[in-house]
Amino acid sequence: MSCRIHGGDFDQGGQATRRLKEKLVRLGVSGAVLRRAMIAAYEAEMNVVIHARTGTLWARLGDGKLELEVADEGPGIPDVQLALQEGWSTASEKARQLGFGAGLGLPNIRRNSDRFEIETRVGRGTRVRSTILLDAAAAEPRPGCAMDPAIAVSAERCNRCLRCIFSCPTGALRVHDSGPLLRSGLCVGCTECAAACTRAVFSIRDREHLRRELLPEGQEAVIVLPRALLTSPLLGRTPAAALDALARLGFREVRFTEEWEDAVQREARLHESRPGAAVPVIAPVCPAVTALVESRFPSLIPNLALTASPLDAAGEEFPLRPVVLVAACAAQLASAGTSSLTDRLTVITPADLFEALRAGGPAAAAASSVAPARPLLRAPREVTSGTAGAAAHELYASGARDVLRALSAAEAGALDGVRVLTLRLCAHGCSGSPFVALDPFFSVLAGPRLLPLLSGAPESDAGAVSRSAPYRQRTGMRLDADMASAIHALGRIDELLATLPGRDCGACGAPACALYAEDVVMGRSGSSSCPHASLTREVSP
Amino acid sequence: MKMRELADQIGAKIYLDSEISDPEVTHLVAADTASGLIAGASPVTLLVTGLANLQLIRIAELMDAPGLCLAGAIEPGPGLLDSARASGLTIMTSPHGLEKTRRLLEGCLRGAGAARR
Repeated sequence: MSCRIHGGDFDQGGQATRRLKEKLVRLGVSGAVLRRAMIAAYEAEMNVVIHARTGTLWARLGDGKLELEVADEGPGIPDVQLALQEGWSTASEKARQLGFGAGLGLPNIRRNSDRFEIETRVGRGTRVRSTILLDAAAAEPRPGCAMDPAIAVSAERCNRCLRCIFSCPTGALRVHDSGPLLRSGLCVGCTECAAACTRAVFSIRDREHLRRELLPEGQEAVIVLPRALLTSPLLGRTPAAALDALARLGFREVRFTEEWEDAVQREARLHESRPGAAVPVIAPVCPAVTALVESRFPSLIPNLALTASPLDAAGEEFPLRPVVLVAACAAQLASAGTSSLTDRLTVITPADLFEALRAGGPAAAAASSVAPARPLLRAPREVTSGTAGAAAHELYASGARDVLRALSAAEAGALDGVRVLTLRLCAHGCSGSPFVALDPFFSVLAGPRLLPLLSGAPESDAGAVSRSAPYRQRTGMRLDADMASAIHALGRIDELLATLPGRDCGACGAPACALYAEDVVMGRSGSSSCPHASLTREVSP
Repeated sequence: MKMRELADQIGAKIYLDSEISDPEVTHLVAADTASGLIAGASPVTLLVTGLANLQLIRIAELMDAPGLCLAGAIEPGPGLLDSARASGLTIMTSPHGLEKTRRLLEGCLRGAGAARR
């Protein structure tokens, strides 16, 4: 989360910390961690109130720790060592009368932090960082869960055509009498099932806790969206009309997810040149690919560059402005903003944006007779990755089929000479998401229509952001946490598989006989059964 | 020990809202600084201070402290009382100075602890 702090406002002092507390409590943080967080955050906030003109409190929860950061525009601290001594203070008389300025603030923050950092520049400001480690058990990922399930299933629309189960790259889907069932432990949040489905059974599930105010209230709001959205007829007849529509919704700047994808790409190239880097380095431009590596190709986890996903990086780029991130897929929705508790950050789906446009935007904008200024854009810094200009030692692939082939080859060490891998699970990248474009092919073709709008625009300044949490192997594919039990289960699966016809027809609702056998052994086969099994047994010797 | 009982024993005036149950406290922290109070606050700690401003309420809220004791016969203003009521906090006013209030309250809490044992 982030929250502004106004210098000199003693009545409102502590409100940012109070809001932080509300959010932490909702996230289940309690006890000593909450207490330490409150002390550190309150002291840092009041330092801004006492000494600075303005400041911001950021909080980030993830990877077993709570990170607090308070930065201000203030006088800075000439002698940090002195300021860290108890009893030393330069607070005003007014502050002292209110009980502040005892020279205990920074020592209190340091005492309640597992890691404490302070940066200051005289005349510019001060930045205080406090890291509080959470309970080790609480930091462990939930077993069997590849990601927060972010795919919603409208089972009543399903006609049981089975296209979805064969399209899923992780075998996460089953179709039973009741309709499609998603094994969330295996789902990586890609769009393959939605792209295969002709009846709109699959959609991106709203994450209610991230859906605060859809539309920005301030005048400096930024929206970050896949470039293909700007050419979508659902947003506007032309890209210029789409921009005007976004302006009416209150956005003053429109940025493209691809800007941060390019930044992540550049960072992966740098990572590749570092000594000891595991090659091919996988540029984590697509969070669905990252989840796929973590679940199906864990041996490639060291190859993933240690940068946050593009949408996560975009969310960190504008610390003082309201930002709306448009997630192109469930993987983006699940990953963007998960570790940030910010109030200024809202993650929405393209459907949310279309709905907002239909609703007409804020009343104030609708009532205004003066058309708002067209939002600012940024031109890409380089040719978009995956097209012309690609270096010889870089391999690009998009679409589940090619991505799986590339990862399989990388795992087998069969990608000689390839130093950087850039993979996107949607065909053509986010332009190919069925939630973004009506047709990925025409969406890509429409790309050049943006060029006139980008002409003369300042160059993108998007940058990559370091990943705050290490990659972890997902446990969704593991049969059992206990190795002996897993081996036993595997034996039973093989036994059962030997009795099945091996047609991989999908009639049982699973995409392959092996997965059906696994479902049966693990007690999750549902109501369907193999229609060919009895026949097979009859003809077998 | 209940705050009403504490107030009775040290001769303090208690502003106990009828909708808020008389809270139990087992510890106290006495300070005239916000940093001193927040560092010692907890859900069972009475905050004892010579200050009387809205930041006291904020500190008590953040730390889930059950109540405040204003030393030096400070009368809480209506704003402070309203905020305390809204936050579910109980306020008492001690006629003694901060140091004496602390000593008296510590004696009460120690006695209550010994009685429980």
